[in-house]
Amino acid sequence: MKAAEPVLKHIDDGLKASLDRLLELLRFPSVGTDPAYDADCSNAAGWLKEKLEGLGFETGIHETTGQPVVIGKYAAPGLPSHAPHVLFYGHYDVQPADPVALWDSPPFEPEIRRGKDGQDRIFGRGASDDKGQFMTFIEACRAWLAVHAVLPFRLTVLIEGDEEGDTSHLERFVAENREALAADVAFICDTNMWNDATPAIKTFLRGCIGDEVVVTGPRIDLHSGYYGGPARNPIKVLSRILAEIHDRNGKITIPGFYDGVKPISPQTRKDWAKLKFSHKRFLGDVGLGIPAGEKDFSALEQIWARPTAEVNGILGGYTATGSKTVLPSKAMAKFTFRLVGGQNPKKVRAAFRKFVRERVPADCKVKFEAAGGDSAGVTVASDTRYVAAARQALLDEWQVTPAMTGSGGSIPIVECFKKHLKIESLLVGFARETDSVHSPNEKYDVECFHKGMRSWARIIAELS
Amino acid sequence: MNENILKTADAGLEKSIERLFDFLRIPSISTDQAYAHECEKAARWLVTELTALGFDADVRPTPGRPMVVAHYTPKSATEKTPHVLFYGHYDVQPVDPAELWNTKPFEPTRKTDKDGVERMYGRGTADDKGQLMTFVEAARAWINATGSLPVTATFLIEGEEESGSPSLIPFLKAHAKELACDAAFVCDSNMWDAKTPAITTRLRGLVHEEITVTGPRIDLHSGMYGGAAMNPIRILTKVIAGLHDKNGKVTIPGFYDGVSPLPAATKKQWAALKFSDKKFLNEVGLSIPAGETGKSVLEQVWARPTAEVNGIWGGYTGAGTKTVLPSKAHAKLTFRLVGRQNPEKIVKTFQKFVKGLIPKDCKVEFSGHGGGAPASEISEDNIFIRKSAAALQAEFNRQPVLMGSGGSIPIVRNFKDILGMDSVLVGFGLNDDAIHSPNEKYNLSSFHKGIRSWVRIMGALAE
Repeated sequence: MKAAEPVLKHIDDGLKASLDRLLELLRFPSVGTDPAYDADCSNAAGWLKEKLEGLGFETGIHETTGQPVVIGKYAAPGLPSHAPHVLFYGHYDVQPADPVALWDSPPFEPEIRRGKDGQDRIFGRGASDDKGQFMTFIEACRAWLAVHAVLPFRLTVLIEGDEEGDTSHLERFVAENREALAADVAFICDTNMWNDATPAIKTFLRGCIGDEVVVTGPRIDLHSGYYGGPARNPIKVLSRILAEIHDRNGKITIPGFYDGVKPISPQTRKDWAKLKFSHKRFLGDVGLGIPAGEKDFSALEQIWARPTAEVNGILGGYTATGSKTVLPSKAMAKFTFRLVGGQNPKKVRAAFRKFVRERVPADCKVKFEAAGGDSAGVTVASDTRYVAAARQALLDEWQVTPAMTGSGGSIPIVECFKKHLKIESLLVGFARETDSVHSPNEKYDVECFHKGMRSWARIIAELS
Repeated sequence: MNENILKTADAGLEKSIERLFDFLRIPSISTDQAYAHECEKAARWLVTELTALGFDADVRPTPGRPMVVAHYTPKSATEKTPHVLFYGHYDVQPVDPAELWNTKPFEPTRKTDKDGVERMYGRGTADDKGQLMTFVEAARAWINATGSLPVTATFLIEGEEESGSPSLIPFLKAHAKELACDAAFVCDSNMWDAKTPAITTRLRGLVHEEITVTGPRIDLHSGMYGGAAMNPIRILTKVIAGLHDKNGKVTIPGFYDGVSPLPAATKKQWAALKFSDKKFLNEVGLSIPAGETGKSVLEQVWARPTAEVNGIWGGYTGAGTKTVLPSKAHAKLTFRLVGRQNPEKIVKTFQKFVKGLIPKDCKVEFSGHGGGAPASEISEDNIFIRKSAAALQAEFNRQPVLMGSGGSIPIVRNFKDILGMDSVLVGFGLNDDAIHSPNEKYNLSSFHKGIRSWVRIMGALAE
């Protein structure tokens, strides 16, 4: 790995400058789902364009039906035409920061703080998901170019802004720009390591669909004394529906929900058992202890290979300080369903809506609104040259065999690339479970950022 | 004598409305600390008005919102002159959802609607500022027309009725001697219909409870943890779903202890009211009675207890999506009580019921708002009730209905227990007043005939 060594040194020497660039990017409050932050998304895209142009990439910002997409193309001068073409993917949009009150430092004023364990950590919304992660690749390319002047492959960098929201925007964009995005493989940096010391390559990916349900009972809010009893309370209607979605064994009771779900192969079950995953620690870290999913499956299988029905939010009636004796007109819940390979998103949505409708009394109304884009679950082929290169590079960098894992979180882009560009994805990421992604005090360890950049440099070297 | 005073009330109506509107412009929401100074402003406004009428009135501080106490003793008063207390509350409900109001909630608006009925719109028009001002304006008419009230009167106007009245009991206890009267008149209830007055003799009690279920200690990514991590919304909704059986009966063990079946005579009386379940529910966009199967809607509202969810929240509820598995889920509940149901016991059994449904690795916390009050019933033979009924009949030319109320007025219980006096509940609200809702209103005729009714009742008491 002679080619890698000087690049690794360059990365080590330039760590401070790389961190400074990341902090600059983290200052954009690029919350993609909230229109109030549209300008910040555009500014983040503009910043990325400037940075990619600085690397010599031919870069443009492309409008979509959602937030703009940044595309940087590197033609790899002098490379033979059979040299691989890599499509690198990341997203600059971040989750909303609320509840803001629970952050120790302002979510969009990133800072590096040293923990009691001596680890430096980058705190801020997007530090891990996904700005910190995708910058590991960009910074690795920067170091490689500084040392060797040319990358050993053709490269298209695609950074989007709708990953946390409606993923159909990007899917439409990809479908409409198949030629411009044509590549041999996609590299995606948006996933976790197996544990603090062991990197991972993800092959099992859950998909996701979202649905918002609004139940209307009385046409106006009522006095709970004058009407309580005879007037139907939509919170009760909605609660009853939610309560019926799971049976006592954690199994989802929606008819047809499990259609297409394949059993987990004995080999995979064996591999995963070897990972010595401790559900006690996994759940203990977040203050829980009892796996809440299907009783017949291990916690790891529950999050990697089994579908879920989850309520992300619920709202109805009076929720401010004090009390209000109201019998509300409406109650709302936001759902997401995590899907595994074989489940059809459209069919699951239809089955869920039917299940709900059957449980709404005749004098009440229910409205649905699909939220986020639909994505199916995917199982990635694990026998490609790219997976082999990544395994070697990660072993060299971390001195431990990387784990072949699943991911509970959906990365709809994998399905999108497979469907529209006919390419497989290599999923390598350096986030840790303690990163609090989607939560207050999101962080990314400086070690992850640093070794992440080094890992990509080694992967690039393996491919040369 | 009455005719002259009624004429004075009629002639002063426009001015009475102006004063009411001044009062309504003060956003005296008691449940929200942010409006504490507005509550004080409303209390001071009342004191100024009552002092001008010749009352000995002042603002009495409490640990929460202040009370207004005003006394009036006619110069001609003797030992035989009855001493009655008039009660109302100057605090109002919050206005949310504010976007559903057609007019600004604290800019009262007078409007003749398409049906030709003149109404006043604004928060507090019916609950309770418009109502309490009917007896204030009746007192004004008496004083302006005759130079005095016909009875010795004490006005007690509180500012925490919409938030469980936490200061009321200590206040009544501390001032029991000053406030004890022959009877109390409470103006915070409805007429039977737009033409038929009513005296409410049966009131449900009320107790609040708030519960917070905690699953994971922080919000989690619903993908990375979904499946293996318990979701507190799932638990909370299971608790709520488990509160009622298929027949609308509350399933909490011991919940119905102290609830007696409705006496046959009362059942018959109420059946004669020809109350239309269909109309009652249709007006609010519903049609299927949701309470206990086999009980009429009137019985469900007046004589049966409930477990109601007033609010629920947890996780991400803003615009767009957030794939979060939340740490906490909350619900606010109220229980309406009847008969001899004991509020403290109800809360205890409820808490036990909830705890039984919480997984071992999750937590539940309770934070009630106090103010629990049992139900109360008033004897229909009470002399003050009989005199009031006669006065109402004279004003409306209709026999007043002696009815129940699903709403809770804990003050009635407190007056009985602490001050030893019965309460006469006479109010002029209508079922479509949208109290606690957007576009609360009070019909002009409710206000006008309300003032005239009190003029007559005050006169009848002195006879």
